[in-house]
Amino acid sequence: MEITLALAALKVVGYGLAAIGPGIGIGIATYGLCTAAARQPEMKGTLMGYFFIGAAMSEALALLGLVLFFIG
Amino acid sequence: MEGLATALGNFVEEAQGLSAQFDPQVVFYIGPWGVTQYIVWLFIALAVTFAVVLVAAKKVSLVPTNKFVNTVEFGYDFVNSSIAEDVIGEGFKKHVPFLATIFFFILVCNILGLVPGFKTSTGAISCTWALAVISFVYFNFYGMKTFGFFQYFKNLCPSGVPGPMKPVIWFLELFSMVIRVLTLAVRLYGNMLAGHMMLAIFSIATTCFIQTALFSGSMDLIAGLPSIAWFALLVVMYALECLVAFIQAFVFAILSASYVSTAVHAH
Repeated sequence: MEITLALAALKVVGYGLAAIGPGIGIGIATYGLCTAAARQPEMKGTLMGYFFIGAAMSEALALLGLVLFFIG
Repeated sequence: MEGLATALGNFVEEAQGLSAQFDPQVVFYIGPWGVTQYIVWLFIALAVTFAVVLVAAKKVSLVPTNKFVNTVEFGYDFVNSSIAEDVIGEGFKKHVPFLATIFFFILVCNILGLVPGFKTSTGAISCTWALAVISFVYFNFYGMKTFGFFQYFKNLCPSGVPGPMKPVIWFLELFSMVIRVLTLAVRLYGNMLAGHMMLAIFSIATTCFIQTALFSGSMDLIAGLPSIAWFALLVVMYALECLVAFIQAFVFAILSASYVSTAVHAH
């Protein structure tokens, strides 16, 4: 009983740890998009594409953590 | 104060059984296959998408006067210019129908789920998994069609990498390519499920606190006060979910577009 409870708690903690890095990464990506779009608003459409690719790549790590939460 | 404690206890008890309500349950059987409630909503979303697009396509004219047709045309133009043209670039025209289908279908699924009492089929992993596999097969197919089977896999490694590093980079790129199907599926599923679960938690909290205040015998009105805050949060979160419903459809389409772009243009 206690071991199952500890495992369930560890899963939640593990997902939380996995979400730190992607959170920082997406924050930096958004910052870059905002500053770039403020300097050159006409580039915004192109930059959005790059932003989503970058955000998706860093978000992948958090999603792996979420998957481990379900299957682990 | 006693009322507040009882209300909190009720709320915790109710919230425990919440995740079971989101599990797929078999509604009826077609032969050996069980049909879950999410699949029923999937087909309803399919019918709605077809109805919207076909009705709009029938009334389309050079000078749009109908507001409904204008809206759908704006959506198609959005996919055409903001998603396909900006991300894929050269030769994007061929991929617009696929991207528009994905975008409209996911958007209709997500928006249907926002109507109280309805369920979103994108909140089930099986549905998003199928959509992700469709997108995965699509961009791999077009990549192989453009470059041929072996050249396509060789292209995974970007040019300009020094010789000894090539196998390592190639393997990493292959891994990140294969994992796209997983991230596409889980991103949509996780966002929709988490959003609806959050809405459910806030609405349970609202009802729990107000029920304890009114019906627990000793009209304890102080216990009902948190309900107002919970309800305000619920409204704010609902507005956020309306945004998320659109953003997730947009993200799925734009990521599919960027995967197609990396597959058909060598880098």
